[in-house]
Amino acid sequence: MDFCSQKQQFLQDNGVVFYFNGPVSQEVVEGIGDAVRTKLKHEDAGLSMIQRVFTILVEQMQNIIRYSTDRLADAEDGAETALGQIILGVDDEGGYFVSCGNKINSADTDKLQKKIEQVQHMDSDELKKFYKEMRRKDPDADSKGAGLGFIEMARKASAPLSFSIEPLDESSSFFAMKVKA
Amino acid sequence: MDKFVVEATKSTPKICLNPVTHMHEISGESYPENCSTFYGPVFNWFKEYLVSAKGSAIKFSIDILYFNSSSSKAFMELFEMLDTAASSGTKIAVDWRYHEDNEVALECGEDFMEEVESVSFNLVSYS
Repeated sequence: MDFCSQKQQFLQDNGVVFYFNGPVSQEVVEGIGDAVRTKLKHEDAGLSMIQRVFTILVEQMQNIIRYSTDRLADAEDGAETALGQIILGVDDEGGYFVSCGNKINSADTDKLQKKIEQVQHMDSDELKKFYKEMRRKDPDADSKGAGLGFIEMARKASAPLSFSIEPLDESSSFFAMKVKA
Repeated sequence: MDKFVVEATKSTPKICLNPVTHMHEISGESYPENCSTFYGPVFNWFKEYLVSAKGSAIKFSIDILYFNSSSSKAFMELFEMLDTAASSGTKIAVDWRYHEDNEVALECGEDFMEEVESVSFNLVSYS
């Protein structure tokens, strides 16, 4: 599935609150973050729900900046920009979800899959313990952040993280992830 | 030692560290693109300060609306530094301030409180 067909699929759903497909930079994260907070406030979501959605949104968008292989030239000051998509929506049960999609190297698929599966079925106590353990550790050599993003999202999620990785061509795959707040 | 002052931006907090009064403040939001670039100078300042402030009474006020996971790791590093100093004679009190409706900020404070042994860590709510 490519960006276009996923976009169409999501736009056909009635639940889409916000959709973005394009170059993601730190400024974009801040701008979309603001827009989403305003939108949720307007919909009378409580502060806790807004915080959970915002957390998942920021982690997903910063993952796009760090790991999407569809990259724009980095600015002189080191600021990075990469292509990806973000969707905020309401599911059938009336709960918010945040979904992201971006290109990855197929060679990284196994590692990524294992990382997510590791936290997918932990309960909240296990997640808390794992989060604290990883927070005191040095991140993996191939991690550009703190290596805590998926655990953080799993802690804020009200259902297990769901994701899919589909090959696009010989070397790249499309990674999509949906997290219910 | 000089004061360390950084004004807040949309994704980085206001930081005001005072080596004379020993009152330090961090407030705002923290989700910069690159945490080590932002917090590196703060850590360096603290490394030097904690040596010179040995034995003093240090007060910290932290009021963070939201921080991302890499900032959380940076804060952990800071608390580890403070806890080490506190275990060897420096009196360190941290007020973790949060809005009473901000459950996420409270949980984050509780997570940090459980991680320190010698720092006196207080959860302070406001409305």
